[in-house]
Amino acid sequence: MKKTLLLSVLSAALPFLGAGCAGTGAHYVQTGDQHNIVSLGQINIQDYIQAASDMTGKLLASGALDRVANPPAVLAISRIVNNTGQQIDTDLLTKKIRVSVLESGKALTTTTLGLGGSAEDPMAKGLQQENEFKNDVKTTRTPDFTLSGKIIELTARASNTRQTTYSFQLSLTDTKSGLAVWEGEKEITKQGTRSSVGF
Amino acid sequence: MNPLPLLPLLAVGALLLSGCKTTVNTVENAQKQGQRQMIPDARVITDGNLARKVSIVGVNQTMTPGGMLQVQVELLNQTRSLQNFNYRFEWFDAAGMQVNSLSTAVIGSAIEGKESRFISAVAPTPACKDFRLKLIEN
Repeated sequence: MKKTLLLSVLSAALPFLGAGCAGTGAHYVQTGDQHNIVSLGQINIQDYIQAASDMTGKLLASGALDRVANPPAVLAISRIVNNTGQQIDTDLLTKKIRVSVLESGKALTTTTLGLGGSAEDPMAKGLQQENEFKNDVKTTRTPDFTLSGKIIELTARASNTRQTTYSFQLSLTDTKSGLAVWEGEKEITKQGTRSSVGF
Repeated sequence: MNPLPLLPLLAVGALLLSGCKTTVNTVENAQKQGQRQMIPDARVITDGNLARKVSIVGVNQTMTPGGMLQVQVELLNQTRSLQNFNYRFEWFDAAGMQVNSLSTAVIGSAIEGKESRFISAVAPTPACKDFRLKLIEN
């Protein structure tokens, strides 16, 4: 009798235990590692990380940023053209490059000088201009280099297999001569069947 | 049962199988001009299967013109089929502290059967004096 009662209670409680332990299925993964989702139809975060890492390594290895009169060099970010079929924020690429370049000690990046006169940090720009006015001295340092580029998307299809290539292109231009002193390109190609195409 | 009718099928099967596994032939200068500065390495193998497919031949390093440590590792696929793998370089300063940066990102790659290929990386800062390479099966 007692055994029957115990069994009944346990079997009634089991579904609740299972539901409690099941969880939502969501979990943390390391950003940029092999467990991240790979999508054909969009640039994934690991693509930005890989492209930025590869091109920054090549830029630093080239020594182009060392060839300035007053090191460290000053680097400004110019136009990064999005030539893909999706809306992307190019800061996902350029911020990583800026962080790496700054950490290397090879260059300083400016946040008060941007494309079309816009500043990434308007407050810093305003304070700098105020400081220059008060002290009657020009402290703004003209960038030694600008970084510009383009992101291009190429697609191909063969029966059920789809292939997408994202080409990340960057140019480092010497502002005094207007010449590119370094050029870099990183291509990331992804392939999958129709069923693996993500939205 | 007469096995003779099966022979053509077996022959076709063998041809198909040999075609699926492609290996790489290489040719290079027998009297190399470039001298690699090889370094002794310490290996920890926890995945013996991967170690056969993507084995480490040697490690060499140099300094870039900007004073950054650059490391190059030669890998060899000892099998006859294409192998996908991931790798990551980790960097350490003179005190042995890890330096976290984009260079520590996981990178996916592939190596053909019997192919020898190089992977390399540049240290994120001039302060990096040491490195570690991690190979992960994909």
